[in-house]
Amino acid sequence: MFTRGTLIYMGQRIVMIGFTVLAVSSIVFLLIHRLPGDALFNEKLHGQAYKELLHHYGLDQPLYLQYWNFVVGVVTRGDLGESLVNRGLKITPLVLRETGISAQVGGFALIFTIGLGIVLGVFAAVRQNTWLDYLLTTTSVIGYSMPNFVIAAFLILIFGVWLQNQTGGTFYYQLGGWKGGIGQLWLPAFALGFPYASIVARLTRASMLEVIRQDYIRTARAKGLRESVILIRHALRNALIPVITILGPLVIGIITGSVVIENFFGIPGLGKEFAQSILNRDYAIVIGVFTMYAALVGLANLLVDLAYVVIDPRIRY
Amino acid sequence: MATAAAVLAQPIEPEQASLWSDAWRRLRRNRFALISSVYLAFLVGVALLALVWTPYRMSAIGLAQIYSGPSAAHLLGADELGRDILSRLMVGAQVSLVVGVGTQLLVLAVGVPLGLIAGYYKGVVDTVLTFIINVFYGIPDVLLAMILVFILGPSLTNIIIAIVATRWMDMARLARGQALTLREREFVEAGRAAGARPGKMLFGHILPNALGPIIVQATLGIPAAILFEAFLSFLGVGVQPPTPSWGSMANEGVQAIQYAPHMVIAPSIALSVTLMAFNFLGDGLRDALDPRSRR
Repeated sequence: MFTRGTLIYMGQRIVMIGFTVLAVSSIVFLLIHRLPGDALFNEKLHGQAYKELLHHYGLDQPLYLQYWNFVVGVVTRGDLGESLVNRGLKITPLVLRETGISAQVGGFALIFTIGLGIVLGVFAAVRQNTWLDYLLTTTSVIGYSMPNFVIAAFLILIFGVWLQNQTGGTFYYQLGGWKGGIGQLWLPAFALGFPYASIVARLTRASMLEVIRQDYIRTARAKGLRESVILIRHALRNALIPVITILGPLVIGIITGSVVIENFFGIPGLGKEFAQSILNRDYAIVIGVFTMYAALVGLANLLVDLAYVVIDPRIRY
Repeated sequence: MATAAAVLAQPIEPEQASLWSDAWRRLRRNRFALISSVYLAFLVGVALLALVWTPYRMSAIGLAQIYSGPSAAHLLGADELGRDILSRLMVGAQVSLVVGVGTQLLVLAVGVPLGLIAGYYKGVVDTVLTFIINVFYGIPDVLLAMILVFILGPSLTNIIIAIVATRWMDMARLARGQALTLREREFVEAGRAAGARPGKMLFGHILPNALGPIIVQATLGIPAAILFEAFLSFLGVGVQPPTPSWGSMANEGVQAIQYAPHMVIAPSIALSVTLMAFNFLGDGLRDALDPRSRR
């Protein structure tokens, strides 16, 4: 499956991702460090104490030196610096821990998006021009027109508020107090993935319709294969190739959507940290989290390219 | 015999059907697109009305008991400060429409010329633009917009600028693609041979032929921009209080979702229906302007 060419290609891509991450974080670093009024300025510090604090963060140095130290720190030690608001809080371990939590939510959302989208798309294609098809194609527009926080709000109203009243508070979805685990994960993941599931469904339907009209499908039918084998083993595999092309944008969409969803559900992941540190003006964390995001997007795109190789053996790099 | 002759005597005038009248006819037949346009016209009316009149002052607090549900005096109830939700929803429509339409106008102004020039001249300009577009596509857009609003400061203009900075690539890429194919067509060659100046060539000949897809893209970009603004405001980095935005209203509603569900339902439905209407209209326009792409 993975030839030598593929491995070389992967290596090149990883090096490229490294450069992109560095470029993105540099741009954000330079942009933000031109801001008037830093996070430290708000504190009631005067004279010597303030100066010492500036020195502690290296903010008394000229900008190019600050930048140089930042880059050296990132490249040699993977060190993203220290929080400006919570003194002594190292950003790299913080960001890594939060990435784990976000990855759980995002991973679930992705599995759910692709699974539901493909199933619905195949059903719509097989039952083309029936009420089921019309229902699915129309609801898919509704699906991607609903912001994820709106879906989340309605889900909470149903599974949190309504179910709690119905069952007398014995069985319901509890908002807040994040502990992790599948019981708490499924609702945010659903809200996060639903808009994209409808896009995947539309695409799967379109490409399925094209594939099931081809000759080799007729051959498979003539051989007397079962319909499920024809659809899944023969048709779907080819129909999925165009679907993979939107996996990249889809992953980016789930990453950005997670910022909203994590804040909604109080999930202590990267997205919540990002929004909180913007509101706190803790720009050291803003830069750190954004750097992490750039790396995640790069890796996600690399994985999408590898998914092509897995699905379609004709594709080589 | 006589009647047949009379019919023949009338000059046969072929009915003129331009691209636009054709498209208009097809659009009118699309029920979803038609209902959507009626709703959007209504929304624009509401937003204009809110300029001069709202049931109550949108920022006036303590008008009703806080968190009180819908009643005759306050059709959509009151929020956590006792403000009238209907009035705030109406002003919020202004914010959404201004952001949506304003963003797309700016995106048109930036993306179309860049894309046309790159696609028409190819070469270095094109390589540079394509590279920049690819870099931008690799950055999560909402996050970049948040950082830009953070740097520029949260005002309506800055929010629009931030969204444009993260959304212009779609339009530029589309215009580039259009110019790339159109430049090879005979009428462009004829124009060049006749000595048309580059500016005239680009905006007088290529642009009008690329207008269909550009209009569709601009229409579909409006709900995307409205969604962006709602995201930013939901997270608290968008439009600043007391100006209401559907996103920030939804956020306030989520805080009170246990005991005042009407607070989150009202802006959520307004937002979803508006986004849906723009999407249906955009899909309808695509089918109308490019019948070949029909599903």
